[in-house]
Amino acid sequence: MSNSLRNDEEIKIGVYVCHCGINIAGVIDVPALTEYAKTLPNVALAKEYKFICSSIGQEMIKEDIEAGLINRVIVAACSPRMHEPTFRMVVKEVGVNEFLFEMANIREHATWVNLDDPEGAFKIAKDHVRMAVAKLSELKPLEVERVKVEPACLVIGAGIAGMNASIDLAKEGYDVYLVERTATIGGHMAQLDKTFPTMDCSACILTPRMVDVGREEKIHLMTYSEVEKVDGYVGNFDVTIKKKPHYVDQEACTGCGLCAIECPVICANEFEVGLGIRKAIYIPFPQAVPGEFTIDMTKCIKCGICATPEVCEPDAIRFDDKLEYVEIKVGTIIVATGWDLYDPTELKQYGYGKYPNVINGLEMERLLSSFGPLEGKPARPSDLEPPHSIGFLQCVGSRNFRPGGNNYCSRVCCMYATKQARQYKEKHPEASIYIFYMDIRAFGKGYEEFYESAGRNFGIKYIRGRIGEVYEDEDHSIIVRAEDTLLQKQIEIKLDMLVLSCGLVARYDADQIASILTIQRSADGFFMEAHPKLRPVDTLTDGIFVAGVAQGPKDIPDAVAQAKGAASGAASLMAMGEFAIEPYYSVVLEYKCSGCKSCQSLCPFNAISFDVFKNIAVINKALCKGCGTCAAACPSDAIVQNHFSDDQIFAMINTAIPPLAKTENGSK
Amino acid sequence: MEDLKSDRILEIKDDISNELRKAGYAEIGACIQCGNCTAGCPSGRRTALRTRSIIRKAILGLEEVLSDKELWLCTTCYTCFERCPRNLPITDMIIFLRNLAVQRGYILPNHLNLCRMFYDTGHGVPINDEKWNIMRESYGVNRVPPTVHTDPKYVKEVQELISSVGFDKTIAWGKYAKKEEKAEKK
Repeated sequence: MSNSLRNDEEIKIGVYVCHCGINIAGVIDVPALTEYAKTLPNVALAKEYKFICSSIGQEMIKEDIEAGLINRVIVAACSPRMHEPTFRMVVKEVGVNEFLFEMANIREHATWVNLDDPEGAFKIAKDHVRMAVAKLSELKPLEVERVKVEPACLVIGAGIAGMNASIDLAKEGYDVYLVERTATIGGHMAQLDKTFPTMDCSACILTPRMVDVGREEKIHLMTYSEVEKVDGYVGNFDVTIKKKPHYVDQEACTGCGLCAIECPVICANEFEVGLGIRKAIYIPFPQAVPGEFTIDMTKCIKCGICATPEVCEPDAIRFDDKLEYVEIKVGTIIVATGWDLYDPTELKQYGYGKYPNVINGLEMERLLSSFGPLEGKPARPSDLEPPHSIGFLQCVGSRNFRPGGNNYCSRVCCMYATKQARQYKEKHPEASIYIFYMDIRAFGKGYEEFYESAGRNFGIKYIRGRIGEVYEDEDHSIIVRAEDTLLQKQIEIKLDMLVLSCGLVARYDADQIASILTIQRSADGFFMEAHPKLRPVDTLTDGIFVAGVAQGPKDIPDAVAQAKGAASGAASLMAMGEFAIEPYYSVVLEYKCSGCKSCQSLCPFNAISFDVFKNIAVINKALCKGCGTCAAACPSDAIVQNHFSDDQIFAMINTAIPPLAKTENGSK
Repeated sequence: MEDLKSDRILEIKDDISNELRKAGYAEIGACIQCGNCTAGCPSGRRTALRTRSIIRKAILGLEEVLSDKELWLCTTCYTCFERCPRNLPITDMIIFLRNLAVQRGYILPNHLNLCRMFYDTGHGVPINDEKWNIMRESYGVNRVPPTVHTDPKYVKEVQELISSVGFDKTIAWGKYAKKEEKAEKK
């Protein structure tokens, strides 16, 4: 390594101009550009080739380096995003420091955007090559540093995605801290009755997984807890977890349930989306894991009945239970915080919240559920009679460009409405079911067949048109107005019940989670992946992965697949035991730093701390992402960003724009 | 007006949607034909107005959207505009299409008569019946209002104004006008 770091030798740059098939050569004169490169200072040789990224192209570079002709390399080709790592490996293999390499992006920046202006493109390409030569002459060799990765993972959210990721990681032998906000694991999937397209009973396939999570030794389950603070960086996250008081000794409670029978306080059950009841001391649903009880102190009247020895034999009630903070150290984090249902109250024309027989999809799910409030016999909320006609309205809040609407498609509503319609039709073949849709998106495996069967075998009628207005009749029936867009006729029909197929939205507190973890959100509010295609489970913060609907609306198979992907990403990081950090971080020049702290508050990655003894700012290499904000802001010029120092950037600027003093008349 | 309705679409053109785009209604491309506009349309409940079809025909560039009477059944109540999930200014687009229709010579006979009346007399609704004069007298005001009716020489000025914006050509060369003139000749 020391050999490659030598910096006192003469600079001999090799410039390799790529044809990129016709992408570059089809627009500009590559031989002319190569000849131009030869005229630039410090350039020892310039060559062209059809595809420099091919193995022949790579060998070309290696041979020239080994022959001692060059000691720094420029490839004028495509975006560094794809091939910078390729060429860095190439120069490294033959003993040149990989940071003495520079790419001039003459494809995206010159030829692609100027297909109709070859002359202009050639001029821009020359500028890029000249700037690259200027920068490369100033570059310094850098060394990649490695940090250790703690073999433990924090999984936030114990829905189907979080549980699957946890089980996978635990089986691979890593410690998993599974943090869940509510009193039970299972997430939204526990609320569902059946799952499309196979009509599997959701609870039947979910509860065994929940039990697995409870049983797995390596999974440290923390329900009724929230992540309060995350410090540190990839491989070494220091996490503070807030454990909310259960007011019931979780070790002593046997889950017998006598307390809930005796408790006099009745309140709405969140698990039943307000359609069912629970007591102030409760478990959300019978199959909850863990099965120990919790007291909801916002509802409890402290009558003490549950605490009497006749009710609680093991004496598990603790009214003096306190909030607790636990600190753990993990190497990786998986965010699987899930979703909230879109609230259709704002769409006044649909009357949700005003007319009792207009309900949302999740409420319908609970009505259909065999262990729901009506034991699987759906009824109109107004009179508890089974409805003879049900309408489903699709895309409620979705594909909506009005303020407050979701621009995206939620991907599950078409199928869940079809599933609910079919479930009802199975039990009530005489009922009329209408699904008001705009486009049916049956994209998954077996979905199209499921949709086809809904019409063929169950006679569910699909009406292509959106309901525009909803009114209530005297008997609380719902009158809907729509257009059958295929017949161009207005429809005005009476329905017993209307189900609004609401879309999925990001958790209401997603911004808090994003700021705790310093991860980004995309425009739709969900957490942003590092690359939409090639890195769909990574976030832009190293060591933090995302899984399930937290990243974007998806169905159960996709959520599970992504969870396994995230687990695999986290596991490969932990299996390596080390993580290489790019040396683009900023460095504080101690003798210049005046300790003004301007940089500290500006850092978007919380990478800057303050050394009170030396009175200087200190940058954490692993946390720093090399954005350069601090270097630009520092009033004393005390911060240098590696690989993007002032010298290097000004070298590029000076060659791009000749200094003004040198212009002819000197007045300008 | 000519009836351009056809059961078959033999040509799809971009001209009408391009006109809309040029006028700042590029959103037309975002329409998903959900029918929310028709569903809530108070006029459509009583008439043949199908708001969604108008937008659809405009997207496909079917000339019949301009020639059809349907275009004039909108009362511009803005309900569709309020509710469109794609945030399309539907009502404004209909008003734009009406202007386009007139520019291309599709004017309803009644509208054309009104325009011609205006051109000829300087009044959209001229006092052309003695009973109005009598009624005015009974209220104690002048028999003839102080407009071009009392000063007929100013009709010429009105006509000059109309000509200066080229509206006289629009009403003279309207497709309906042509048809009517032909009928008169016969």
